[in-house]
Amino acid sequence: MPRSIWNGTVAFGLVRVPVKLYSATESKRIALRERHTQDGAAIEHRRLCVKEGREVPYSEIVKGYEVSEGSYVVLTKEEVAAAEGPEAHVVEIEHFVDREQIDPAYYERSYYLGPGKLGEESYRLLQTALERSGRAGIGRFVFHNKAHLVAIRTAQDVIVLHTMRFADELASGEGLEPAKPAKQPTKLELDTAQLLLAQLDGKFEPQSYANTYRDAVMAMIEKKAKGEAIEAPESLQVTPEGDLLSALEASLAQSKGSRGKGTAKKRSRPTPPSGNAPKRPVSGASSGNTTKRSASGASKRKRGED
Amino acid sequence: MARSLWTGSLSFGLVTVPVALYSAVRDRDIHFNLLHGPDNSPIETRRVCAHEQREVPYSEIVKGYELDDGRWVLLSDSDLEAAAPRKSHTIDIEAFVEEREIDPLYLDRPYLLVPENEAAAHAYTLLGDAMASSGKVALGRFVMRAKENLVSIRPRGGLLALTTMRFHDEVRSSAEIAQELESAAAPSDEEVRNAMAIIAELEVPFEPEGYRDEHRAHLEAIIKRKRKGQKISVAKAKPAKSQEPAPVAPDLMGALEESLARIRGQDASKGKTAAKPKPKRKPPAPKAPAKRASGARRS
Repeated sequence: MPRSIWNGTVAFGLVRVPVKLYSATESKRIALRERHTQDGAAIEHRRLCVKEGREVPYSEIVKGYEVSEGSYVVLTKEEVAAAEGPEAHVVEIEHFVDREQIDPAYYERSYYLGPGKLGEESYRLLQTALERSGRAGIGRFVFHNKAHLVAIRTAQDVIVLHTMRFADELASGEGLEPAKPAKQPTKLELDTAQLLLAQLDGKFEPQSYANTYRDAVMAMIEKKAKGEAIEAPESLQVTPEGDLLSALEASLAQSKGSRGKGTAKKRSRPTPPSGNAPKRPVSGASSGNTTKRSASGASKRKRGED
Repeated sequence: MARSLWTGSLSFGLVTVPVALYSAVRDRDIHFNLLHGPDNSPIETRRVCAHEQREVPYSEIVKGYELDDGRWVLLSDSDLEAAAPRKSHTIDIEAFVEEREIDPLYLDRPYLLVPENEAAAHAYTLLGDAMASSGKVALGRFVMRAKENLVSIRPRGGLLALTTMRFHDEVRSSAEIAQELESAAAPSDEEVRNAMAIIAELEVPFEPEGYRDEHRAHLEAIIKRKRKGQKISVAKAKPAKSQEPAPVAPDLMGALEESLARIRGQDASKGKTAAKPKPKRKPPAPKAPAKRASGARRS
């Protein structure tokens, strides 16, 4: 385990559990940097004073909040830190909620809590109580000079802490004006879609999803490093043939076929759905397109300049 | 209207639905501008080629990967796309799973999917309806901004909500923490019962609107004070060391019982009957005017 990034206590009621905070995630993104096309040189970000037109050192830069056009209230780092008052180093649990009620969109960042000094017993008590009740504690703590809303819950015998988004930070979709369907799905379409869902039914097994793109980019980088040309991306637009229902039926046929032969597609799926394959209601789909995903002739939709 | 971050297709089976992706997170943070201290004039960031020492436009900037020997491989957007052409344009749904199987540790950022046209809206609605009635969420993958994302998709308020997720190797193991706990004594039944009683007493429905962003409020307050010319006492920010009691409650059982007595005492004084089998508390009440969602704070 890497080093803890915060020490404090979790307080619920009068019980105080000494804890240490650890980051639960790490990015495995390929490290790419900005470079200049012409000569491959590094791109530097320089800070210029607009008025004087010269580069200014960091020591001369302050942070200002614009209260009206061109008028700023300047706050020092210390003043921003003072906004939260004295740092108490406590995760104060205010309520407990049913975990299932929390929409996934609220979870922001994830951390593990480990026991702090002499805190093993009270930690185990809290962890056990969270596990048996299936509840999550909702509370607050100040971390990096910022007050966060947090949820604590248990997973894999340890306590997990999530920072949470606030309700007004989540967009409801208002103003997106999605295209409306000309007509609602028919019962037959819905039934057929349900069968397709059932065929693709699986368990979430995170290990079975590897980040293959990372490998593909690394392979491409190696090729390019050897001076090999990179193949231009081909257009791979897939459009359903004919109407929605026949596409659904063809999907069912394909999905069944690929399961029978086990060779049609290499796409990894976590757990193949178990034996009882639902019957296809309509036996219309031709067998010709069972393994081909590529589109029929010309793609119906045009790709814009996006 | 917000701008879409990505456009492509949502694909399940042979059904392909042209969609646009929008962020589901609205930026409510208080933003500061960088200023030049002496004259308070704005700072602009310029991108300068380190070799030529001249400012370069965005069109001349590409991504680069540094090899072990210090050489750089330059990658254009189309190179990156070529690494995974299909994934760059298609969210392939690979499986449908139970929501509760997805540990929140895997969740990253929320987005909304919107159908691009009338025909897409038909298939989009069908997928949403089928998922809603089966109670399952879709799992898929796609590439956005040179990053592959594992995603889960669920129906929400007439739209499909997409959440990017972390890959398994991006979630750290908790095994070492679990090991640290192995030697600790297991809590007694009575302790667990009391702790669960506290949880039950403090249980409320999850009503996220009830929690206001205190950090935002604190910053707003401090900006207001400073604008009026008031001094901000910086000494306040220093951690008050002696404020915290000793790290361990010496008597766990005592703390549990005292907590319960106090919580129940409070409830009783608020007119709640002690006889209620499972007293539900009122959802959290914001401590300050809760006109957050109205957008009034922009002024």
